[in-house]
Amino acid sequence: MPYFTDEQTRTLVRETYGGAAANGRAVADALYSAAELNGLPEDAIALALGVGHPVRYASLASGETVLDVGCGAGIDTLLAARAVGDGGRVLAVDMTPAMLERTQHHAALAGATNVEAHEGVMEALPFADGSVDVVVSNGVLNLSTRKSRALAEMLRVLRPGGRIALADLVLAERLPEEIAKNPTALAV
Amino acid sequence: MLIKKLGNVGFVDAVTVARAAFGLDALARYPLFAAEFLDFVRAVVPVDRHDTLVYSVVVTAHKGDR
Repeated sequence: MPYFTDEQTRTLVRETYGGAAANGRAVADALYSAAELNGLPEDAIALALGVGHPVRYASLASGETVLDVGCGAGIDTLLAARAVGDGGRVLAVDMTPAMLERTQHHAALAGATNVEAHEGVMEALPFADGSVDVVVSNGVLNLSTRKSRALAEMLRVLRPGGRIALADLVLAERLPEEIAKNPTALAV
Repeated sequence: MLIKKLGNVGFVDAVTVARAAFGLDALARYPLFAAEFLDFVRAVVPVDRHDTLVYSVVVTAHKGDR
């Protein structure tokens, strides 16, 4: 049974991620190549908070429509936008307004005119059935108290034959209860 | 478990394409965790799990054609 309700979780995540300060390049350098980071806005790089590199495994093609669930400050959104080109588009969704603003700002700085930012939660995505070719998400599913619901929503918005590339944290063993009950551990 | 969840909701061909240990040193890179929290985790978690606290995975899957 979860230690936190949906609303408590969302409030904690909004506060934690909305207040995250740029923190250098340590996270981005651990996840992305120098060539991939080249040309991206420095703040987008410094606010990389993902845990993997789902875009690398998404096999994106020119002209595709990609949904980035929990876009954060937009680093994966920008990499996807670069991969699908001007003929494609990237729908970036996040429940934290401060992060959405950052994604929009970083897309503008990068000249990525194929990015659309949308506020929403992963358990009720604000998109039509079968409307996207690819879903990517990076370090976001673990923040949901209803993971199966969020995955079902990602399936719903994919077109038949569409694909998903999802980076997340998983446990090999349960964490000690003292940690699992700590609000900060929601992000782990 | 994540692969199983993907299958349970209807995804097909779910596979783990990347997996890496994610320990306390990795957590410390993120501006989400205060030093006090990291110290707390370091104190509570057995030393032999500090480098493998959790695992970072990337999974891929498809939606069926129909």
